Amino acid sequence: MTVPTAEGSTRYAGARINRVEDARLLSGRGTFVDDVSLPGMLHACFVRSPLPRATIRSIDTKAALAMPGVHAVFTAADLNPDVNEQWHTSVGPEGPETPRPPLAEGEVRFVGDAVALVVAESRYLAEDAVDLVEVDYDPLPAVVDYTTAEQAATLVHESHGSNLIGQMSGLPASALQEVFDSAAHVVGETIYQQAYVPVPMEGRALAVDYSAPTGELTIYSATQAPHEVRLFCSRLLGVPEQKVRVIARDTGGGFGQKIMVQRDEMCIMLAARKVPGPLKWIEDRRENLIAAGQSRHEHAAVKMAFDAEGTIQAAQIDFVSDCGAYPTPWPVSTSSVVGALFPGPYRVPRASFTTKTMYTNTVGRTAYRGPWQFETLAREMLLDIAARQMGIDPMELRRRNLLRRDELPYTNANGMPFDHISPMETFEQALDMLDYPAFRKEQAEARAAGRYLGVGISNYVEPSSPGFGYYATEAATIRVEPSGKVNVYIAGGSTGNSIETTVVQLAADALGVDIEDVATIQGDTAVTGFGAGAAGSRSASMTAGAIRETAAILRERIKAIAAHKLEAAPEDIELGNSRASVRGTPTIGMSLGELARAAYFDPYSLPPGVPAGLEASARYTADTRFVWVNATHLCTCEVDVATGAVKLLRFIVSEDCGPMINPNVVEGQIAGGVVQGIGGVLYEHLAYDEDGNPITTTFMDYLLPTATEVPVIEYGHIETPSPGPGGYKGVGEGGAIGAPPAVVNAVADALAPFGVTVTRLPLGPTQIHALIAGNRG
Amino acid sequence: MKPAPFEYHAPTTIADAAGLLADLGDGAKVLAGGQSLIPMLALRLAVFDHLVDVGRIAELHGIERRGDALWVGAGTTEAAVGASVEVASSVPLLAKATPFVGHFQIRNRGTLGGSIAHADPAAEYPAVALALDASMDVVSSRGSRTIAARDFFDGLWSTSMETDELLAGVSFPIWGGRCGFAVEEFARRYGDFALAGVAVAIELDGDDRVRRSALGLIGMGSTPERAVTTEAQLAGQPVTEVDAEEVGRSAVAGLEAVPSDLHGSADYRRQLGAAMVARAWRTASAEARHG
Repeated sequence: MTVPTAEGSTRYAGARINRVEDARLLSGRGTFVDDVSLPGMLHACFVRSPLPRATIRSIDTKAALAMPGVHAVFTAADLNPDVNEQWHTSVGPEGPETPRPPLAEGEVRFVGDAVALVVAESRYLAEDAVDLVEVDYDPLPAVVDYTTAEQAATLVHESHGSNLIGQMSGLPASALQEVFDSAAHVVGETIYQQAYVPVPMEGRALAVDYSAPTGELTIYSATQAPHEVRLFCSRLLGVPEQKVRVIARDTGGGFGQKIMVQRDEMCIMLAARKVPGPLKWIEDRRENLIAAGQSRHEHAAVKMAFDAEGTIQAAQIDFVSDCGAYPTPWPVSTSSVVGALFPGPYRVPRASFTTKTMYTNTVGRTAYRGPWQFETLAREMLLDIAARQMGIDPMELRRRNLLRRDELPYTNANGMPFDHISPMETFEQALDMLDYPAFRKEQAEARAAGRYLGVGISNYVEPSSPGFGYYATEAATIRVEPSGKVNVYIAGGSTGNSIETTVVQLAADALGVDIEDVATIQGDTAVTGFGAGAAGSRSASMTAGAIRETAAILRERIKAIAAHKLEAAPEDIELGNSRASVRGTPTIGMSLGELARAAYFDPYSLPPGVPAGLEASARYTADTRFVWVNATHLCTCEVDVATGAVKLLRFIVSEDCGPMINPNVVEGQIAGGVVQGIGGVLYEHLAYDEDGNPITTTFMDYLLPTATEVPVIEYGHIETPSPGPGGYKGVGEGGAIGAPPAVVNAVADALAPFGVTVTRLPLGPTQIHALIAGNRG
Repeated sequence: MKPAPFEYHAPTTIADAAGLLADLGDGAKVLAGGQSLIPMLALRLAVFDHLVDVGRIAELHGIERRGDALWVGAGTTEAAVGASVEVASSVPLLAKATPFVGHFQIRNRGTLGGSIAHADPAAEYPAVALALDASMDVVSSRGSRTIAARDFFDGLWSTSMETDELLAGVSFPIWGGRCGFAVEEFARRYGDFALAGVAVAIELDGDDRVRRSALGLIGMGSTPERAVTTEAQLAGQPVTEVDAEEVGRSAVAGLEAVPSDLHGSADYRRQLGAAMVARAWRTASAEARHG
């Protein structure tokens, strides 16, 4: 389970190490929030609005409070006045923000909006009591359709003065007018994507244990960012940060939904100080599907200008997104990433964009794995449409325009400084893995026999590991314990993304110890230094940096002690196999255990200037503002034109995340994202009816792809090092970015004989059937 | 998603169960495998004061030949139906429908009687029962009676059983001679309720003419539907001259309550239904001709 290095020793980075998390997770022994059971624990359940918009006339809690086992029923008047400060660290206290009452105050703004909070001895009793809370609503007209929200007479937030949250733009469209006017080909479409959502296996969850005598709060949280939960809670309640401890042992998926504290979690934090026992809230699936957040719901008018050979001259996108009633965070700046990245990993000399974000009376927008994913969807769909219109093979059109290595670094027309990427290499590798010419032959034969096969591709480049503000640093503490075993303390925030395995591998290599000798403690703010958690595909690069900085201190110290004891020069000491030995004479050496014993228990034997003990802490500050990552997704499918059913045949991903720390982890991350992308195109749809009622509130209607819908995913790897620690790059989000357009383009290619142009998602069988029927006339 | 409070009863005989249902009245509901009822309770779409769990009643289990029919105890799990050699040889249509019932975990708990008594129009067993003219053995403290399948399903999730009656078993007529059977359905994902489907049985005479046929439509109305007009038109036709696509179009032509939702409009479902009928007809007729 190791790979050889140039020096002849071995290392763990690069090897397919089994995940250290798996033993507990696969045997059902993980510790999620609902596994935390404390004496006297109480359970919370929300009373949620059944209306998309209404005035709350009155709330009658008498009957609920009279029920045996019910401790409290809180309304806005009880909780909201306790709010001290309410801002997310990554946004800061000064930024613009949606007014965000923990419980709805005066007006409900979406179906699922929390109106009251019941606390009872069990969740069963709490749900019984919820049914007894009588809320008198005065229904109001609602803003349901974000595409007309800007002109709507009704305002979601009266205080904002408009349903347009904000807008951003790049170069004005007029600057490109001449290019478009004189281009040999101009291809434009409006591309629309339905709402679909992260759907973590574990919903949001929080258990807050408040100690009145000390004023301390211990919070068990399903989160991607334990330290952010701590900071947020401390500000919300106005208690010193040291009084809040957040513990996140296992978290069942997040995908962006669990990066930031939302209104429901605020309510639990606020209520916990008012009830006589620890307070637990486990979001159930229905709540998760109506209240945890929406994502992806957006459209854009996109167009590209080409010369006669199909060389891209200019690209333009005018993007509009649905942000619901309470987006988290403020969505305006995020939307500009869609505009800035729309040209993708292609040579696009001119570009312009506008973005608009809209309030509606639906659940608020939250981050979802590759929140700017629409730029890739829209671009890659448009390129296929363009190829068909110009009569150029879609692969050849891309080959003519993809960035080559010899053009790097390349700053795109919107100022994005791409480097250390390999779009042409992943593209060619994916096509080779498929054997593209062979597939086209197979497709032609199938068509002759009345079967419809298709192939679709997508290329993207994405920023990972943001190196600014709140995200710019990561800390590690490494303790070589007196026994010689190693413990690595790092902020963590793993939601299934294997950060424990990654840390153990990297620390073992950095200290030259056996991997069995290394453990890691993560997700406990009491013992780990601040870290921004699992977000922005940052964990690989940032934890690698933190371990590099900290291990360097310890290596030097270990070498100094060993050199002193072995009567050698420190530069002649080698670390490996949990030993320090003299270079060229491996028999002369000491185990790390022996060195640690001396460091802790015989401090006077240490060389002058070397402190006792073997523990160190350091903080890494990002070497770069972004680590760029690229990949190619390639998909083949067969469409049953009688039913509209799509069967995916092959799914190939060639990706460049730099040197892989662990191919199992890399491929697992890609697979998860790809499955979510497949779901987003073919199955998943967080739908509202035209009155603003959510209609996909259980897994009967919100359809996730399962093992029977997903083909075996094939992986190709190109490893172009980044300038960051170890050359590593982020790989957490890319699968979900690259997959959707590959699937869409494969379906569109299969339907090409019918003259179909696909511009709207989802592509369920009913939509595909309608497309075929529409074009058959 | 926790159910409202209910009292739980677990009788061990049919007589005790019938007695409980008589005593408890409208507030009681029979719990069999729970694969539909429990989620409805958890979502509080249904609330009952009493659940009468029939899972411990041995008399409700079993598969046995009774004259020209195969009797299946209502408490027999779908997995047991699917594994039964007797079912496969005597009532192949039932065997062929079973893999479409949810997933194997669901079939391990779900029962044939539970599925039929729940009367979901998109479920497979009700359509098979209707297609084969099965008869339902129904018991109450007032006595026993038999209800023909065509009189049994009277609305969405609704049957002609009274609230004090318990479905004890279902008798499926055994088709002999040159027969063919097929089930085709279309669901969004494997194991989901069908958007449209059909269970088809065909018997041919010695000259390859259709002696009789039965088409039980799945998910095409508020109850399982039988394409009786189409069946009548097919009787006596030389099977080689029957256009399967035309059978499909005919079978869905008269339907009046085809559902419509996010996953498919009524019009789409009608076309799907026609396609499923055509496919099943081809398979079943080929089996009838060639064995």
